[in-house]
Amino acid sequence: MKTLAVVITTPPYSHLTITALTYVEAALVAGINVIGVFFYQDGVMHANEDISIASDEYQAIEHWQRLQKQYQLPLHICITAAEKRGIACDAIDNDKINKAFTVSGLGELVELTTKASRLVQF
Amino acid sequence: MTQKEQKSSGASPQESVLAIINSKAPFSSSHGKDALDVALIFASFEQKVSLFFQGDGVYQLMDKQDGSLLGMKDYLKTFSAFEFYDIEDIYVCQQSLVNRQLGEDFHIDNVQVLSSIEFGLALNRHQHVLRF
Repeated sequence: MKTLAVVITTPPYSHLTITALTYVEAALVAGINVIGVFFYQDGVMHANEDISIASDEYQAIEHWQRLQKQYQLPLHICITAAEKRGIACDAIDNDKINKAFTVSGLGELVELTTKASRLVQF
Repeated sequence: MTQKEQKSSGASPQESVLAIINSKAPFSSSHGKDALDVALIFASFEQKVSLFFQGDGVYQLMDKQDGSLLGMKDYLKTFSAFEFYDIEDIYVCQQSLVNRQLGEDFHIDNVQVLSSIEFGLALNRHQHVLRF
């Protein structure tokens, strides 16, 4: 079975994110097995619970949450990249991280890459 | 992981898992360092990874640079550990060097200078590509 993994290196306020989300959703709707999305570099900011984007603009984070819920799509953030950007991952009651996201490391990217038939970066 | 690797390398011995394209100059952003971290992780999981340098990315290979003069951690020094990590396939785009009037004075060994066509063909031998 064809599998797809996606790497997001763009922040939630980037227009590239819209393309990424449209792409991922189209793949899911087409029945492609999207094995996970890995957020690296500025991409980890999608998991920042404190980000607030003007209500008349594209709500990237809400769309990730929706896809995660609807399709059980795994969303992994790189812990090193996240902590560098003020998203503390080791706190016990962590309210900085959006619950839709899983804290992972670059090892997860290796895992996804070796499993996926195709890897696409945005 | 090991089993999987054996399986995939058995199916297509010519193909490496990941190509990383470095396209940014070393010290104005963290792209180079982020790419290096990915390369080293893949290598430590015994996945075959190749490095490609293109555009301003070629500056990451030039000799006689010292990031510490800018007060930053000089991640370029870690390039000398590639051999230890079995990262052997390092390619640089000749046209990018020519465009910037740079010679072939690299701070690491085993860098292969490729024409645009060869560069493209080498990239094509990889299953996945990440660009930084």
